[in-house]
Amino acid sequence: MPKLVELNNINKIFRIPHERRNTLKENFLNFHRKVKIEDFHALKNINLTINQGDFIGIIGRNGSGKSTLLKIIANIYTPTSGEVVVNGSISPFLELGVGFNGDMTARENVYLNGIILGLSHKEIDKKYKEIVKYAELSDFMDMKLKNFSSGMQVRLAFSVAIQADADIYLCDEVLAVGDMSFQKKCFDTFQEFKKAGKTIIYVTHDLPSVKEFCNKTALLDHGEILTFGPTEEVVKKYLQSLNV
Amino acid sequence: MTKIKEQIFSKKNLRILKEIAVSDFKVRYQNSILGYVWTLIKPLLLFAVLYVVFSVFMRFPVENYQLYLLLGVIIWNFFAEATVVALRSFETKQSLITKIYFPRIIVVIASTLTSFMTFLLNMLVFLVFLCLSNIGFHFSFFFFLIYIIELYFIILAFSLILSALYVKFRDLSHIWDVLLQIGFWLTPIIYPVSLIPDVYHRFIYLNPLARVIEYSRVVFVDGYIPAFNLNITLAIMTILIFILGMFVFRKFESQIAENI
Repeated sequence: MPKLVELNNINKIFRIPHERRNTLKENFLNFHRKVKIEDFHALKNINLTINQGDFIGIIGRNGSGKSTLLKIIANIYTPTSGEVVVNGSISPFLELGVGFNGDMTARENVYLNGIILGLSHKEIDKKYKEIVKYAELSDFMDMKLKNFSSGMQVRLAFSVAIQADADIYLCDEVLAVGDMSFQKKCFDTFQEFKKAGKTIIYVTHDLPSVKEFCNKTALLDHGEILTFGPTEEVVKKYLQSLNV
Repeated sequence: MTKIKEQIFSKKNLRILKEIAVSDFKVRYQNSILGYVWTLIKPLLLFAVLYVVFSVFMRFPVENYQLYLLLGVIIWNFFAEATVVALRSFETKQSLITKIYFPRIIVVIASTLTSFMTFLLNMLVFLVFLCLSNIGFHFSFFFFLIYIIELYFIILAFSLILSALYVKFRDLSHIWDVLLQIGFWLTPIIYPVSLIPDVYHRFIYLNPLARVIEYSRVVFVDGYIPAFNLNITLAIMTILIFILGMFVFRKFESQIAENI
């Protein structure tokens, strides 16, 4: 199995000033007072290898570093130390509808979003009907996006996102959207992805879906990977630690 | 550190660049009634006021003063508008850069390209004025294309520095507004350099925009190409400024997403 993602000894430290001074006046008036800067160790010594075809779950409490980890893999944040090796293209579903612009029509937004996710104009032309059909929004495509309900926006965004052709998909809580029937549709699509052997890293609090999809799961706690292994065991351990 | 072999100008990134620049241009004027016309009205209005003040009231002894002035205003307007918008480009594109990775420089290039489109529309107006004047056609006009390229890279360099520093230092937007106001009067926009005492010329020409504006006037209004060594000096200035811009940007680039 070829390694798609390799994280070696990743550390991420955010420097959080207690009183943020961004302006000249603030610096000037308070120059005698030292700004207290606290180092927040968001990720500690993370080692993780992800192979092709893996469906990796990442679970853990709020603030345990799950999203930071995804952002490091996606190259949005640079690690403070350590090495990230990514072999392949990444499609982040970190948030749906990246680049959506409320002042443009839904149709224009499909193109804008699709291109940002790496599709070409021609490819979107070809997939356009499919996208609209999947989102169940064919009557609304000439409407400005700001007049869409949030559910409609998310449906449109998800429909575009799954068309992006990438080696690795990063998903951060993206399935907690839409009504029940749309959620089911999303899960079906995930099932297809899995069958097609795509590599997915899935961050969520929804443990049943982790159990259903993920072959391996990492449990994060205070920036450290506590365990990484077969999903069943890791989820069990997580539940024990939560005492529920 | 992240080992992704990246090509800034891969096909995919060029598509992103184009899409952001074009959609920003569309959106910028979409909700206003006059739409694109505003891109032309703004500099023309400034031009009209300055023309009345300095040609009717004060009477600069310059032939074809209206063309001199219009060209200066259009070029300055491009510089000022492009840098002001680019300075905040990471703030306005925050939702994009904290959610997905693509080379950060694309945001700045897209922003300056949007302003560049406005500039081209303005230049069309200038060309209309040029045709209406008594100046005939000169082959030196084509040399302006080189100045456009140099002007764009100077603006991009300033934008790179401003946008990267603004993320850490928010006062910069006010400071830059003030500097632009001072710059407007220190740059030969409403007056030609020939009206200034010779001793000050070398200071005036430290400003690359002064050179771009003066040389552009020479190719359009006077109808010849400035001396070779002057062109070389401007080219070298452009390259140095651009290298400085890239250097500063590279230094701050990786921190942009987490600090914005």
